[in-house]
Parts: sequence; structure tokens; C-alpha cells
Amino acid sequence: MNGSPPLVLVAVSVLLPLLYPLLATRRGWHRALRGALPLLPVPALLLAFQSAAPWTLELPWLLLGSTWMLDELRRSFLLLTALLWGVAGLYAVGYLGAQHVRRFCVFWGLTLSGNLGLVLAADIASFYAFFTLMTFAAYGLIVHVGSGRARFAGRVYLVMALCGEMAMLAGFLLAASTGDSLLLKDLNVGIAGSANSELMTALFIVGFGVKAGLPLLHFWLPLAHPVAPTPASAVLSGTMVKAGLLGWLLTLPVGEAGWFAWGQFLMLMGFAGALGAAVFGVRQRDPKTVLAWSSISQMGLLTVLAGATLAVPGQVSGLLPVIGVFVLHHGLAKGCLFLAVGLVLPAHRLLRWVVWLLLALPGLSLLGVPLTSGQFAKGVMKDALLGQPGLPLYGLLPLLLQATTLATLVLLVRYGWLLWQQLERGNIRATRWLGWMLAVLCSTVVFWYLPTVTAVMSA
Amino acid sequence: MSAGALLPILALLSSLLAAVVIFALPETSHRLRTLVNLLAALLKLGIVAVMTWGVFQGIDFSVSFTMLPGVRFMLRADALAMLFAGLSALLWLLTTIYAVGYLEDSPNRSRFFGFFSLCVASTMGIALAGNLFTFFLFYEMLTLSTYPLVVHRGTEKALQAGRNYIIYTLGGGVVLLLGIAWLHGLAGDLAFRETGHFQGSDPALHGQLTLIFVVLIAGLGVKAGMFPVHGWLPQAMVAPAPVSALLHAVAVVKAGAFGIVRVVYDIYGIDFAFALGLLQPLAWLAAFTILYGSVRALTQIDLKRRLAFSTISQVSYIILGVTLFGPIGTVGGLVHLLHQGIMKITLFFCAGNYAETLGVHRVDELDGAGARMPATSAAFTLAVLGMIGVPPLAGFVTKWVLGTGALAASMEWVILVLLLSSLLNAAYFLPIVYRLWFSPVVAPWPAERRWGRLETSAWLLWPPLVTTLMLILVGLLAATAFSPLSWARLIVVRMYLP
Repeated sequence: MNGSPPLVLVAVSVLLPLLYPLLATRRGWHRALRGALPLLPVPALLLAFQSAAPWTLELPWLLLGSTWMLDELRRSFLLLTALLWGVAGLYAVGYLGAQHVRRFCVFWGLTLSGNLGLVLAADIASFYAFFTLMTFAAYGLIVHVGSGRARFAGRVYLVMALCGEMAMLAGFLLAASTGDSLLLKDLNVGIAGSANSELMTALFIVGFGVKAGLPLLHFWLPLAHPVAPTPASAVLSGTMVKAGLLGWLLTLPVGEAGWFAWGQFLMLMGFAGALGAAVFGVRQRDPKTVLAWSSISQMGLLTVLAGATLAVPGQVSGLLPVIGVFVLHHGLAKGCLFLAVGLVLPAHRLLRWVVWLLLALPGLSLLGVPLTSGQFAKGVMKDALLGQPGLPLYGLLPLLLQATTLATLVLLVRYGWLLWQQLERGNIRATRWLGWMLAVLCSTVVFWYLPTVTAVMSA
Repeated sequence: MSAGALLPILALLSSLLAAVVIFALPETSHRLRTLVNLLAALLKLGIVAVMTWGVFQGIDFSVSFTMLPGVRFMLRADALAMLFAGLSALLWLLTTIYAVGYLEDSPNRSRFFGFFSLCVASTMGIALAGNLFTFFLFYEMLTLSTYPLVVHRGTEKALQAGRNYIIYTLGGGVVLLLGIAWLHGLAGDLAFRETGHFQGSDPALHGQLTLIFVVLIAGLGVKAGMFPVHGWLPQAMVAPAPVSALLHAVAVVKAGAFGIVRVVYDIYGIDFAFALGLLQPLAWLAAFTILYGSVRALTQIDLKRRLAFSTISQVSYIILGVTLFGPIGTVGGLVHLLHQGIMKITLFFCAGNYAETLGVHRVDELDGAGARMPATSAAFTLAVLGMIGVPPLAGFVTKWVLGTGALAASMEWVILVLLLSSLLNAAYFLPIVYRLWFSPVVAPWPAERRWGRLETSAWLLWPPLVTTLMLILVGLLAATAFSPLSWARLIVVRMYLP
């Protein structure tokens, strides 16, 4: 049952952030440019809320012949992307100094456009195009400050990302040739039926693994996050790394029989990341670096879920909504935590306590404290995993999941301690406060009203 | 004379006559010369557009007459010819505009634009040549008309580069002539149209035919900048920017690559060449040249030299595509003929803008140039990303089709070459982009002239912006009916299904 695509809204969602950098050609417009930042993802947000039925849009004239679509899985990613980029954009209005405002806005718009477009793309060429746009444009955000550390982080990021893209391209070429189709949904059949299926799977796991922060492909993450401007770190960690996860779900032969070993491998790597990141992260002195490791840790859990989807082909329809919920939960909470790093403490004692309370909420949520989005997301995740006796590592799952909670706790305590020491009193622009508070609102309240979440709750 | 015969001749004459008129004009009549130049370029573009439409409809444009007993002069427009003719007509117009701005106030402009027109006339002749003899005629005319352009500045370095250029290309021409004469003795005058000349030939001749193939490719490979006869190309960089642009994107290197396409498809026939086992070694050589050019480009400090080595690498993509046995690989090679032209001309235009406006020739002097010349730098950046093969730009379409073609031909190793080359492209191009946008300016830029609101002369600014738009559109709209990709598919359909 396919609805008709809201053409204008789709076009505006992608084109607005893509063409917005053209405003930068006028020298005097940097204030308008900065002010427009939070508005860029608004059409995409409307799109995610508006169209209830899944739709497919054929664009035969675009690239090699394109198809865009919005289904339930994509909707959860679209919701997260639009929400987080919106609040981070608002925060950025109050964050940006006088230096290189135009350049920052240009890269912001391009990165956002790539991030939104890749969620909607259903064919290889447009998916790869948007993914690459995001990858390259994000470089501009990472090196924005221009310090030696930033440039080094940017270099590591770009080299790793390029290698990942090459792996991805090779995988796409091989899989598209065997499947003789340019649609992402035909890839898994192409892979499953090929003599090179193992190679293709490996290429996709590595290619998207760079973005998703898979252990040993994660090196750029702890370097890039602390040096990027805070709103950029928030979207980098909140939504962009999840593009890697989406890439896996769209390209790997999810739902095909016979991928148990690869699923097991992904699950193992996921747990390794989830637990290992705590060991490295707890020794950091910069709260943003700690958060970067925490992202690797949480992406580990999502990797476990992706691995489970691959290993148990019959349970895809049950696991994908769980992934959607977890993605939303983590993305929003992590966004809040990142944005909090750029805050200051108000002079008034009572207000200070309010700030600390709001600061703590997303952290508690990540831990899965009752009444938070985390409790719900972790709950459905546990139910989904522990209800599958056929899963790899099934006997160890309860223990491993407990351990990951411990890992999360360790990292969050470290983050809280560092923040406690570093936050100072002072003044910041109101938009920065507003952006952060909206982020907290999204993570704690809006979350419960998102279509993905309500669908899972009613199921 | 019928319209079918008239148009190819007109296409040639438009620039030939322009050359004669320009030579005749006094040095000081700049406005009139510019007018003649632009009118001729527009006229030719119109003629080529009409012919392209005609070829699409299946109309035959051809003219031939006997020059010597057994040797015909033959012009013929097929889909492949129009690919090359269209590229050169379009880019000639833009390069002429650019050259007018670039050479403002410099001496010997009459000589320059005269030979410039001759050069384009030769390119048109190469595109429309209907047999090897006619091809050779224009191929040599191209050599002779580009030499004065390469040495235009008249400096010691320019003359040295010119000497080198002429030795390489005339040497290549002699080798090519040897091959053509040998083939003529063996098989007579071969028109490009009738493929499969040798399909049923005597196996005793196969050894000779193999040798002739090697000789022909060796002769053509000089202009195509194939390893190991690429040495003239980086040196020819001393030429003025519009010349380099034309040399690298349209005229010289493309003439070589186009000749190889003709030899493989229209003289030997792809099936026969494959059966003789000639494609595989050529593929290896092309692959090696791709990587070699990229590796050498890494260490070049001079911007135009780096671009030159990049050309060596990129032109071999065309040849690699030709050697991939099967229709998809052919499409990839042919489409790159156009794509490489558009991207490379953009890069050279931009390099020229930096040199002309900021006096910058070296990569390490470009720090912070993005803020001073944002439009040029944006064009440069997009062209660079296109070269790396970033979607949705032109280079991505090439890489995708070549990769698919390689898999269809069961030559998986080509994928590795493509990926490695992309990484190398990134390694030598992206540092330049970094300097443009992210490095702080070291010293103030020369403030010699005021261009009003523009960052440089409008004559210099618009051509790269137009080609940048083109390199975006040919990728973004690759699936539409008149994109280079669709045209290359049309050529291949007609080539494989006679």
C-alpha cells in the first residue's frame, strides 16, 4: 500500500539545504545565513511527520535513473536527522563567532543535504551521491577551527572516509553487476546469488563501518569530535555515524538465509566496541572525547542489532522498528550531551540546579533509567534479542547486555565529572540555551510522540 | 552538392576560413578579430548541432573524392564523429572567449588566433575523417598548427618545450604513417564505416596485422600521452593557459585517444582485435599509465604540471574503456572522452585565472585563494571532485560505467585500478582544495587591476563557470536523452548492431 509522494515537500527538503549555500555568494549576508541555520531541516521534519503511508518516487532523469522512497525504517532516520539538525542549528546560531561564518554555513547546509538525501535515496547512485556529499562536506565542519589538532583530525577523517567510500563503491559495483539492478532493495538478492557474496559483504561492512565507528575503523571518531565546533559534533555523533548503520541495513543481505556467520561477526564486533570503548573513553580529559567514545560504545549496541538482523533472517520485520527506536533514542540523547559541553552555568543558584538537572536527564536516559527514552529503547531491544534463541551468543546475551550498561555508566560518570569541573559561570547567547533546551525537550518529551515510537508502543 | 556533403565541409571551413581571415587582419584590429573568432565559433557550433541532430535521425553526411590512385579523401559524420566534433565545437567557443580575455594586451595575437583556428579546424577534420588517410592528414596538420601555440611566449623554455613537442609528435606521426602505409599495402584503402574488414582474413596475415596494430597504437599513443611516450606533455605546460586547456581537453591528447578508438573499432573491429589478443596488453598499458600519471602528479609543485600528469592518467581511462571487451566498457571509454574534456578544461581555465589574476603558478602559493577568488575556486573544487569520481559529477558516471564494463568483461582487476586511481587523484588534488579554502593567506594579493564586482575579468570568469555547470549537469542528468552517456550508448548500439 503505497501512498503518493508529496513531491514539493520532498524537493524542498533536499534542495533547501543544498542550495542555501548559494546565499554565501553575497558578502553582506552572513547574518541572514547564520539565522537561517535552524530552518533548513524544517521541510524534512514536516515530510517525516506528514506522509503516513510509505511512498516511492521515480526520478528516471536523475543520475543513472533514481528512485527515492520513505518507509518506516527511513522515517525513523529522517525524524532523527531533521530534529537534531534543527536544534543543533539553533544552537549554532548562538555558538558561531565572527570567524568564517559563511564557510561554516556552506558546509553545514551541504552536510545536512547529504544526510537527509541519503535517508530518502533508494537507488545506488543517489544514495552514494548523498553519502559522499555528507562525507566531504563534514570535513569542512571538522577542520573549521583550523588548529593543528583540527587539521590532523580532518586528515585522518578524510583518509579513512575515502578508503571506506572506495570499499563501498567496489561493493556497489560488484553487487549491482550481479543483481543487474541499481535499486538498493535488489542488492541483497544480488549479493546472495553471487559467487563473490562474501567479498561484497566484507566490502559493505568495512565501507560503512568507517562511518559507524566499527572497532578498528573508529580512529577518526575520538579525534574529530573534540575539535569540531560543538553543534557539528552533536550532529556528527547523533546522526552522521548512524548513516553507516543505515548503509548496512540497506546493503547487507538482511532477510536472506545463510548469513549467520557474518551476523555473528557483526554482533561480536558490536560488543567489542560497546565494551572496549569504555576502557579507552574513561581515561580522556575532554568531555567531548569521552562522548565520542560513548558514541562508539552505543554504536556497538546498534551494530549488535544489525548483526542480529543479519543472523536471523526471519526476524527482520521485528528488529527494524527496534533499531529505529534505538537510533532515535541515542541520537537525541547524545545530541543533548554534546550540546551541553558548550554551556555555562547561570549565576542564580536555583537556575544552576535546574541546568544540572536538565544536563543529567539525557545521561540517565542513556543508562535506561525508568521513564526515559532509554528505558523504552533498551527494553524493546532486550525483548527483541532475548526472544530469539537462534541468535549467535544467545547464552551470553544477558551478561553482555549488563556489561554494556556498566560501560555506559562508566563513560557517563566520567563525562559528568569532567563537565562538573569545567563548566564555568558566564554569559552565552539565548539561542544557544534555546537550542540545548529544545534538544532536551526532544529527547525527553517529543520522543514519545514520534511516529516510529508510537508504532512500536502500540505493537 | 547535396546538403549531406555540404555540412561536413562547412564544419571544416568555418574555422579554416576564420584562420585565413585572422591571419589577414592587421595586428591592431582586436575587436574585428574577436568578432570573427566568436562568429566562426558560433557558426560551427550551429553546424555541428544540426549535424548531430541529423546523425541522430539517421541521415548520412559524407563526402569523398580520390586524391591519388587508391587514396581517397573522405569526410563522414557518424555518431562517434559527432561525439568528438561536438566536444571540440563547444569547448572551442568557450576557449576562444577565454583566450580573448587571457591574451588581452599581449603581443602577436593575430598569429595566435590564426593558429588557434587552424588547430580547431584540424580537430574537426580528425573527428569527421572517414578513413585512415584523411585522419592522418588532419592529425599532422594538428601537430603543425599547435607548435606555434606551444612556443607562443617565445621564451627559451617555451622553445625548448616546443622542440620536444615537435620531435615527439612528428616522430609519432612518422610511425603512424608507417603503419597506415603498411596496412594500405595489405588491405587497400579502409573506410571507417565498414567494420569487420579482417574478420575472415587469412590466418597467415594475423602476425602482420598484430605488428601493424602495435605500430599504429605506438604512433597514436604519443599524442594520447601514453607511457612511455608521454614526455612532451608536462613540458608543453609553458604554453599559455587557453592553449594548455585546448591541448589537454580537446585537441592533441584527444586526437590520439580518438585515433585509438577508430583503429580498434573501425579498422580492426573489436571482435577481431580481441581474437588476436591485442586488447589485453593494451589494457595493461592503459592501466599502468593511469597509475603512473597519478603517482607522478603527486610530487609536482607547479600547478599546470600537476594537471598535465593528471591528464596522462585520465586520458588512459578512455583507452582502458576501449579495451574492455564488451559494449558497457566502450560506453565508459567514449563517455570519458567528453567528461575528461569538460573537467580538464575547467581545471586549466582555473589555473589560468590564478596565474593571470594573482600571479600564482605553484600549488604552495594558493593558500587562501578561495576567499579572494571564490567563483574560480568553487569551479576548481567541483572539477577536482569530478576527477576523483565523486557523484553526481561527470567523473562518477565514467567510473561507474567503466567499473560495470570491467565486470561484464570479467576483468575484475580493473576495479582495483579504478579505486586506486581515485585515491591517488584525491591525494594530489585535495591538498590544493585544502589550501584554497582552509589555509590562511600568507601575503596580500597583488592589487593591480579592478574588475568591478567580479573577482577577475568576465572573459576569464564565465568560461570555467559554464564548464563547471556542464560537468555537474552531465552527471546529474546522465539518464536523459542527450547526455553524453546516452549519446555514447547510441554510438555503441550502432557500433555493435550494424
